[in-house]
Formats: sequence, structure tokens, C-alpha cells
Amino acid sequence: MSEPPKDPVKYVDSAVYLPYNYVAGDYKARYLAALKDKRIIGSKCSKTAKVFVPPLVCSPESFAPCDTFVDVADRGVVTTFCIVNIPVIGRDLEIPYVAASVALDGAAISIFALIQECKPADVRMGMRVEAVWKPDGERQGDHEDIQYFRPTGEPDAPQASYINRL
Amino acid sequence: MKRPVAVVGVGQTHHTSRRSDVSIPGLVREAVDRALLDAGLEHKDIDAVIIGKAPDMLEGIAQPEQFLAGALGAHLKPLLRVHTAGSVGASTALTAVTHVASGLYDRVLTVAFEKQSEGNAMWALSPNMPFTPPLVAGAGGFFAPYCRAYITKTKCPPHIGPVTAVNARANGALNEYAHLREPVTLDDVMSSPMLWDPIRFGETCPSSDGAIAMILSSADQAKKGPHKPAWVKSGYSYAEAMWVPGRDQVSPAAGRICAKAVYDKAGITDPWKQIDTAEIYVPFAWFEAMWLENLGFCDVGEGWKIIDRGEQKLGAHLPINPSGGVLCTNPIGASGMIRLGEAALQVMGRAGAHQVEGAKTALGHAYGGGAQYFAMWIVSSEE
Amino acid sequence: MTALRNIAIVGFAQLPIVARDEHRMATEMLYPAIRRALADCGVERDDIDYQIAGSTDYMDGRPFGFVAALDVMGSWPARQDLHLEMDAAFCAYYAWVRMQAGECDTALVAAHGKLSEGEPNRVLNLQLDPYYHAAIGLDAASTAALQASAYMARTGTTDRRLAEIAARNRTAGARNSDAQVRAPASADELQHTPWLVEPLRSGYVPPVGETATCLILAAEGKAEKFCDRPVWIHGVDHRTEMQTLGARDLSRSASTQLAAQKAFAMADLARAGDVDVVELSAATPAEELILCDALGLDTHADRPVINPSGGPLCGNPIMMTGGIRLGETFRQLAGRAVGREVHGAARGIAHATQGHCLQHNIVWVVGSERRWS
Repeated sequence: MSEPPKDPVKYVDSAVYLPYNYVAGDYKARYLAALKDKRIIGSKCSKTAKVFVPPLVCSPESFAPCDTFVDVADRGVVTTFCIVNIPVIGRDLEIPYVAASVALDGAAISIFALIQECKPADVRMGMRVEAVWKPDGERQGDHEDIQYFRPTGEPDAPQASYINRL
Repeated sequence: MKRPVAVVGVGQTHHTSRRSDVSIPGLVREAVDRALLDAGLEHKDIDAVIIGKAPDMLEGIAQPEQFLAGALGAHLKPLLRVHTAGSVGASTALTAVTHVASGLYDRVLTVAFEKQSEGNAMWALSPNMPFTPPLVAGAGGFFAPYCRAYITKTKCPPHIGPVTAVNARANGALNEYAHLREPVTLDDVMSSPMLWDPIRFGETCPSSDGAIAMILSSADQAKKGPHKPAWVKSGYSYAEAMWVPGRDQVSPAAGRICAKAVYDKAGITDPWKQIDTAEIYVPFAWFEAMWLENLGFCDVGEGWKIIDRGEQKLGAHLPINPSGGVLCTNPIGASGMIRLGEAALQVMGRAGAHQVEGAKTALGHAYGGGAQYFAMWIVSSEE
Repeated sequence: MTALRNIAIVGFAQLPIVARDEHRMATEMLYPAIRRALADCGVERDDIDYQIAGSTDYMDGRPFGFVAALDVMGSWPARQDLHLEMDAAFCAYYAWVRMQAGECDTALVAAHGKLSEGEPNRVLNLQLDPYYHAAIGLDAASTAALQASAYMARTGTTDRRLAEIAARNRTAGARNSDAQVRAPASADELQHTPWLVEPLRSGYVPPVGETATCLILAAEGKAEKFCDRPVWIHGVDHRTEMQTLGARDLSRSASTQLAAQKAFAMADLARAGDVDVVELSAATPAEELILCDALGLDTHADRPVINPSGGPLCGNPIMMTGGIRLGETFRQLAGRAVGREVHGAARGIAHATQGHCLQHNIVWVVGSERRWS
């Protein structure tokens, strides 16, 4: 035991170590596995036929089960976005980068995605984008199989078509 | 409500970035003791304690209300712990209101706090969510796209966010409890770094340590108190699902529904005319314009114009966040209750230098989650 | 005591408690429990006025983990809602208070959490005061052992007695298709399991398990439509104590005693022994004995039957355990405790707890008849 402190003890350091092993659930697992085949799948509401990506077990809107799976396109519309200047812990993305809400064709809700291959200042609401996949052989069946989305060059979608699909 | 409920005491800490002079129990006690003193009551007079705070990861203690039970004076009393994300401080106060309204409890202490300097707030708020690509750091990254959508839809000019921030900071300078108390200029805000475009650093709330406590009581108890109380005319907390197709994330339905319920119960048919001041939860400046619309103070698309015309400044028609709001002070778990407590102080005529002259009816509001949780109350100087 | 509103438990659904559900996330487990509870009541989601959920971020390993539950609770259009970082039994309490305030007539009380995803013991260490208790590495097993030790020292209770209580719970659990541990075990077998933290043997504590639960509460006027045999709430009260282990008499549960006193007075129940069924959130046999003492129950008597569900020893999904005790009591009185019914059960007590060493306790008294006319 060393000398007692001369000054009052003011702080106590406590490092927390908590391991977690999360269950993806069959729905998410199916979605992730399909990415390996360059497929994006969603689940369809048994009541309204709306498609949720990533797949949900239950429609948050109708409360009905979503028990069938359908493919959606790997392209869609940027409904809104922001340009990020703060680094994310545990990821090395070059700043600034664009984080966008993308409504894929066929899906009733949007996903969050990275937009690249264009200047952040060129990104706009309504811009048509497509997924850029990792090459064949490199895809693992996890969310990094889609590296990012890039502009397709198609004309922008009209505001009315996406402004309520944020 | 089965019977009237009054706010008979309010106590808060001097919010700041790091309260290194007190432990968590000390921080909480500071607010609690002030509230009790304010109400002219002692711990033995309290029938139950309702406490709220945001994720426990912020301080690293799981369910800290258990650790705090003794300090809260809750030994051998009922204690409940609420957690509804950012709105928690407000929903906690409303939980206490219901306890008194039920007739089962006469004097309830409600507390909300956060001592986030003791943990790593950024980590606590945005750790790697399983099976989801990490894209943004912090809440701002989540909300910035919806601020952008508002700006685009309403053609809101780029100075509105900065003007809101300047006004909030001017108000904060008058609030002895606020964390940020130096005014800022438009130039300060507009030249501050852009964090998540369109949200700038100068338009973002600080990270604060702080606590607030209130005593809610029955009418009988209120009449015995040393001060004129604030009367809770209505209060509701609502929540909506996140992934509803076409969900309006700029003006969420849950907010509109909650506001309508709160106004209807309080007999408010024209919020712009009948409400004297409002403390609303604005963690990023652009939300002030958005919430003015969501709360029915004006039509869709008109919120930013209220700010442009300066009608929400102290001394103007409808002072918004006379305390400086979340932009000046944000101990996450406490912020919602600070909104409700400040609204109460206004109608009690005890908001000091940031008092809105003659305020009789005030709205306190908070939100949380992906703008899914809403908790609000209307308080009045009249029973 | 002035008459209160008669409120009943009218529905309860849970998934079987399992060590780990490899196929579903917490919210995906909750959804079927909610659908089932509503279906059993013969109602739609829109027939419920209020929703309240219980879970903890730390057990979930996700800050704001409970927010995702909104999406499986039918939260569209927006609902009046609350979430407590507490066991479902406390959420049910607040729903009851709300009904007494006239704010709602029906309520859905949900609880969820996949305890298998993290290490609950580490989280329970973090539940303690960070300066002393947590710093010396106390976890749930060690604090429970401290309490057991204190109780055994004061009362002379033996290891054998603990084994007998554990065996009785195991026998009961074997008849409960929703329990996690469904193999009976004798006192001899359990007394031969190794020490976990002396004086608690591994056979005296539950394994880690998970499930999802949903309780439906309804006020008089609605309750009769939701359930053919509503289980009426006669009395309820809850109390906490300060956490500091050294500042409490761990061999007793002062908060349970006080909560019981208040709940019994509200219920006009003279003594705990007058009920037929008691479901206690006792994670160890020592806790069961301490709780029985606090309630004034003779643990050697055949009636009331204690933990006909097998109790937490046979399944302890943290944050749901207390709600399940309330649900099991409901099942007994409503004639839905298949394979394990306590015949003629007309009154019951359900208990839930939070925190180390029975820090915070709630006592419910329920019955087949209305309390107030």
C-alpha cells in the first residue's frame, strides 16, 4: 500500500467492458445473406402489400405481419441528406461525406446510405442513385457488400414523388 | 385528470459542462433540495418519487435510480424510473402529474438529471448498432436531413437557423441556471464549423451536467404553499412508430396529435393568441421553426417567418424559450423537465430576468427518439 | 378507505422462456406476444387506450433499445405511451394509476429483452454504486449470497432447507410449458450442486433466459368484454429502499413488508395466508424465505401454493420476471394455468422486485371478485 493521497480523491476511473453477441433474427439474416447475391430483399405487409427494407416482421403502420419476401431494386431516389463533417467512431470515411436517406424503387421506406462518386455539393434531394456493390467473390453477406450509392445520371425525380417518403 | 394538480416547487442546478464539485447524488440533491425549499416541504412530506433520465450508458451506471434511492429520499417510498429518450424529462413530470391526479398521492417529487461529463456522451448515444452500417456520429446526423427537407419544402432562408441560435443565446444570458450564458452574434454562428450540413456548431446544443426537480401536489397542498403555484391544465405523452411509410419526419403526426390533445384539454383553441410563452425542445436551431408549425402556432411553411419577424423574442408576441432552451443547456435526461419547469416558473411569475411579462398560460414541450416521442403540458397561473 | 376503480387483468401472453432465441430479435419476440394477448381478449389494437413498456438499455446492449418496440406495438396512429426502465410489473402499476386517474380504461403492458445477448451479471455489477460496491466486483450472485448468508445467520436456516425450496419450485416448473427449466430435481440433487457463491449453490439460482410478455389491463365495464373471468386488482403498493447493502438489514425485506401492509389494507386482506396462490419474484430460495417472512406467510403450510409456475428459479428473464408473476397469478385465477392449476384459486398475491438484495418491491393482491361495489 503506497502513501495515502495528499489531496482529496476527486475522480474514480471505471472502464466498462461489456461484450454483446447480438441475434440478427431470421429476417435480417435473410436480408444480409441476399446481399451476397446482389439482391436487396424486403418483407411485404400482408394487409397493405407495402414493402419494408430491411425486412420487418410486422408493419409498423398496419400492425399486420409481413410474412412474404420480395426483391426491391438496388437503385432509387435521395429523399433527403446531410453532409457530415464529424468522423464516426470506428470507421474511416473521408470527411466531408454525404449521408442520405434513399428510397429504393419498390420499397415503402427509406434506408440510410453513403453517397459517393460525386462532390457533396452536387448531391440534391430527388437525385437518382444506384448501389455500388463489392466485386463478385468479395461480397460476404453483410452490410458492407454495398459500398455506397452513386448518381445514375438519370433526371431527378419530381419533388412530389419523394417529399413524403423521407 | 380526476382532480387538479399544481406545481408547488421547482429547483434546478446551475447547468454546466462539468460539475466536478459534486457526485451524481450530489447533483440530484442540489435540485431536489432547492425544489423542497421552494415548496416549503421536507422529504418526509413526499409521498412518491418519479425520476427520469436518458440512456444509462451516459454515466456508466445501470438503472442509477437504485443507487440514488437514498439520496432522493425515496427510502421506503414508491419510486418509478421513466425513460422515453429525449422527451424523458417531460414524460417523467407527466407521470408525476398522473400520480397526484389519481387521488392516490398528494405530494410527488419528480426529478430528471444527466451527468454526462462522467461518461462519453458520443459513445453512449451512437455506438455501433448491430447489423446497421454506422453512418453518422451523434443525433445531429440523424436530424440534419429532416432540417434540410424543411428548408427545401418551405424555402426557408439560410439565416433562420443562425437567428434562432442568436436569440436563444441572448435569452440564456438572462438565465442564471443556463449552461451557455454568453450571447453570440449572427457572424459567430454563421462562421462556426458546419457539422452535419445544414446544422452548424453554433446551432447545436451543448453537452451539460444538470438536474431539475419539481414538486407536484394536490390543490389542498398547493394552497398551503409559500408561493402561488402553477396549475397543470393538461399534459400528455404520445409516441409513434418509426418506419411508417411516408411518415412526416419534419412535422411528425405524434407531435400534432399530442399538441391537439393538450390544447383541447386546456381549452386552447388558438395557441398563437392564447399561449403567452412556450418552452419547446430545440436541440438544433432549425427545429424551432419546425416545431412552431408542428405545435399549431402557425400554418405549415410559416414557422420560419415568425422567427424572421422576431415575434418569438423576449418582449415580442410569443416568446419562445425565454430560458435559452436546449440550445443553451442540455443535460439530456433533464432537458424535457427543464422545459416544463421553466414554463411553470413563467406562470408563477418567478422566472427572474427572463420572465415574460404577465405570462398566465405557458406550454412546456419535449420530444425524443427519431422524433417519435412527444410530451407536453399547459400550465396556468389560474386553477 | 375510499372506493377505487375496479381494474382487472384480462389477458397475459408470453413466449416460452428460452436460453437464447436464435431466430428473433427482442422486438420480433414481442410482436407475437402482443398479438396473442389481444387475440385472447378478442380485441383489436385500436381497442386499447394506453401502452406502456418495460426494458433496460444495458440489458439490451443498445441505448434507446426500447424505441424499436414502438414499431411492433401498433404505435400508429400515435398512441399515449410510456416506457419505464423497469420490470413489467411496475409498468402495470403505472397503467393502474392512470386508470385510477380516469385517463384510460384499457392498457397494454409490454416487456422485452434478450438477456442472452450480453452478460447480465456484468450489467448487474454496474447497477451498484460505482465507488464501493461495483468497484469490488460484486455481482448479482454475490449480493444474493450476502443476503442469503445474513438470513441464514439470523434464522438458522440450513442449506437443506434452501435445497427443499428449490426442489419444490423445480417440481412446479416441470408442469409449466412456458418455463425455461422443466426438469424436476430433488432436494438431494440440488444440494449436491457445486457452490456458485457460498451459501448459494448453482442449483439454487436461475439460468440466464429470455422471452417477451404482454399483459392487458381493463377497467370495470370493459374488463368483462375482454375476459370471461377477469382477475380484479384488490390492492397494490410498492416501496424501494436505499441501495447501500451495509445500511440495510439484508435478512429482512422492509420494503416488501411495508408494501404488503399497504396493499393488504387496500385489498381488505387480513393476512397473506388467506389467499390461494402466491407468485414471488424470488431468484433464490433465500429470497423466497425472506419474502414469505415479509408477507407473513408460513412456508411450511400447503396453502397458499407458492410459485405454482416454478417461479424465477425455472425462468428469470430480467425485466419480465415480475410481469410474469402477475401473469401467472392471472392464469391461476382465470382458469388458464394449464397443467398446473391450483384448484379453487380465488385470491392471489403477486410480487416483483428490482435491484440487488430485494431493494425495491411491489406487492399485488388480486381476486376473482370485484373489490369495490
